[in-house]
Order: sequence, then structure tokens, then C-alpha cells
Amino acid sequence: MIPVCAVRDLPVGEAVRVEADVPIAVFNVDGELYAIDDTCTHQDASLADGWLEGCLIECPLHATCFDLRTGNPTGPPAKKPVRTHEVVVENDHVYVRVSTSILQHGDVA
Amino acid sequence: MTTLGTNLPPSLLATLAGHYYTDPTIFELEQARIFETHWFAAARAGEIDTPGKFKTVQVGRESVLLVRGRDGVLRAFLNVCRHRGAKLCVEESGETKRALQCPYHAWTYGLDGKLVAAPNLTKMPDIDRVEYGLVGVQMREWLGYAWVCLADEPPSFEDTVIGAATARLGDAELIDRWEVDSLEVGRRIVYDVKANWKLIVENFMECYHCATIHPELTEVLPEFADGYAAQYYVGHGAEFASEVQGFTVDGSEGFGKLEHLSEDQDRRYYAVTVNPQVFINLVPDHVIFHRMYPVAADRTIVECDWLYSKDVVATGKDVSRSVELFHRVNQQDFDACERCQPAMSSRAYTRGGVLVPSEHHIAEFHSWVTDKLA
Repeated sequence: MIPVCAVRDLPVGEAVRVEADVPIAVFNVDGELYAIDDTCTHQDASLADGWLEGCLIECPLHATCFDLRTGNPTGPPAKKPVRTHEVVVENDHVYVRVSTSILQHGDVA
Repeated sequence: MTTLGTNLPPSLLATLAGHYYTDPTIFELEQARIFETHWFAAARAGEIDTPGKFKTVQVGRESVLLVRGRDGVLRAFLNVCRHRGAKLCVEESGETKRALQCPYHAWTYGLDGKLVAAPNLTKMPDIDRVEYGLVGVQMREWLGYAWVCLADEPPSFEDTVIGAATARLGDAELIDRWEVDSLEVGRRIVYDVKANWKLIVENFMECYHCATIHPELTEVLPEFADGYAAQYYVGHGAEFASEVQGFTVDGSEGFGKLEHLSEDQDRRYYAVTVNPQVFINLVPDHVIFHRMYPVAADRTIVECDWLYSKDVVATGKDVSRSVELFHRVNQQDFDACERCQPAMSSRAYTRGGVLVPSEHHIAEFHSWVTDKLA
């Protein structure tokens, strides 16, 4: 598992980016934590810098929204999903268990 | 060659020479030394009222972007992407949901100017997001307008802007009685005037022309027929004619006087010039606020707002008769300025013209300009 941050350092509506083998973004949606690959599958942009609305994160560059629950884009220009990852909270700390699924896009970090 | 100024009879003072009104080199110098270094009333702040609303304004040779942040604060930036210099916002005004994005490479800035995102930005961790954010421009709000200054070290706002009103009205607090910041725009008219900006300032400063070209205005303000503008005096409000009920095109009744005006200010007209581009007229029931945007040596855009109480605007009262009075005055004035502009390059005006005594205070404006250009 990858350590992310203390729970209190990820307030509601915020996101944090962690450098793993592939950068991962963790979001706090009204107390529920979600983790996805941080890099948009359309062009290299950090989704953690994007805009969170409900369970959707909008890429800051070209406005594709990804569903944090499935990783699927809701519309163009991105076509491929991002991976989702399991979030674990232990002793007031946030961890991510990185998915073993294969990256969908060619831009491997 | 002797200049006209050296042999003038005492009644006359010299104007600027003709080329001051036509020479593109002088105009460029004015852009640099006057419009880009002084406080400039750029926009009515209340029109950029919610987060994400923006307006772009030409100030001197720069495009300035005014945008309301998510924190409710209005900010001003140079409208230029820090990456490769594309103009960021091309629209005159609009609303963005979350950010300001360059249409070229998608560098994306927050409404506070900070660089939020850019392609491959995470692979360039050495790029400081504030350092490479939009370049901020100094901004102040006064009388409900956003005043910007492009100078690195702006002149004192209190001295050069508020001070101009104080000097004319003779009292630092007098203008506050109109509560101009709380008034609403009842009407805006934009004039595209084919004349140098200084001709427009000079015209506004004197009333020697009033009896000839402003029949409606002199009906309402009979003392204007004597040729002495409110701007000639300190603290003087020109009195309405006894038979006139309001500051309207036909002298008919206006609206109730604004709440904090005293009887002394009722039935009077006050005027203020804030160099280099603002004229303010104060009458009991409204305020007329002119802003000039010089475009070229021979062209100036003038935006004129008629400001009324919230109540007058909200209840949809008919403002047309009060608008019509000064709209006619503006048309008459700008026609006169456009009549002068072509003659500025005439041989007859090579050395300029003359100012009669009721216009002598215009020489102070000329000194102000030439000092800045020196």
C-alpha cells in the first residue's frame, strides 16, 4: 500500500496527488475517498488539479469528466478510462492499494 | 520662428500646437507616459458581479483583464498568456465557469491568476505556479468603478484621483454624498469620436461654447451662457433656472434628489475632470460618468454611464428625458471636436490657437500634458 496523507490533510472537496509508479490522485467527496490514476488519458494533465463536482472530476485542460467510481470518461475528448484504486484508511492515515490492472493509455510514467 | 505664445495680448494664452493632436509619435508617448502610468477608470465594478465574470479593457497599449474571483474579489491582470504570449480572453466580456484558459496551448489559470494546469505541467515541477501566473495589475475601486494602473509604482490614488474631485469641489467629502458606488447604470451610450482625446478634455473644461452649441443645457443652466463652466470655479454648482424642475431635456421634473444631498446641493450641477480620462457630472437625482478610451491620435471611444438610484432603475422609471439632455450635449460636443480634428493639421493651426480668459484654466491641462511628455 502507498501512504498518501493524514485524513485531516484531505478535506472535503480537495484532492491530493501522490507519486507512485504512476501518479495517483485521491479525492474526498463529502467524506468518501476515491483514488484514480492522476493523469488524464487525453493529454498529460493532473486530474488532481481539476474541478470536483459530486463523483465527477473535470480535467483542467479540456474538460473531460471522469467518474471517480468507475474511472470512465463521460465525454470527449478523452476516450479511455483511468484506473481506479482501493483507498484504505488506517489510524487516521490514507493509503492506496494500487490496482494491478493494465494501464489503458500508452503514456506510461 | 517665433511661437504664437510669445507675442500674445494678455487676454489670450496659447493652445498646444496642431501636431499635438495628430502626430502618432506624440500619441504613442501619451499612451506610455499618461494612460499607462496614471489611474484609469476601466469598468463599472458592479457589472463584473459574480465569480467567473470578466471584462477586457484596452488601457494604453495593453489589454487588461478584469475578473471576479471565487472569493468575490475583483482582480486585474494583463490579458496575456505567460507561455507564448497569446491574448488570453478575446471577448470584451463574458463569464467563465472555473478558470481562464489560453486557447493556444491550454495553459489554464485560476480566477486569482495562478497557473492551475498546463499540458505536461506535472513533469515540470520547477515551474512555480504563482511566478508563472498572470501578471497582476494594480486596481482600486472608487465610485463603483474599477480603476487600474499599469505603472510599477502607481501615483497616489488619493492625490491624483480623489484629489482631483476634492480640488474641483473644494471639499473631500462632498462627492461621497452622491454615493456613486451604490447607484446603478440606467443607461450607457458609447460614442466613437473621430477626434484626439485632448480636444474632448478641453471641450469639457470650458463653457465658452455653451451658448452657441448647447441650447438645451443653457436653458437648464442659464449661467452657462456666460461662458464660465462649473470647472472654472472651486466648489461651485451651477444653479438650475428658476422655471426648471429637473435636469432633463425639457426642464421637466426629474426624480427625487439622492438621499444624502443637502438643500445646498439641490438644483445644482457640479462637474469634475479626473485626468486623463474621466469626467463626472453630479446633479441632484443622477450622476453622469464619462470614460474615454483613446484609440488613435484622431479617434477616441467615449463611454458614458447615466447612474440612478437603485430604486429608479429597479422600478423601471423612465430615464429618457434626463438621458436625452446630456446625450444631446455629448453629441453637440463631439460634433464640435470632430470639426476641429481635421483642422489640427491645417497650416492655419501649425502653431496652435488661443484660449480666451474663460478658457485660461485649460492651459493648466496643457502644462500637465507637456510635463508628462517631457
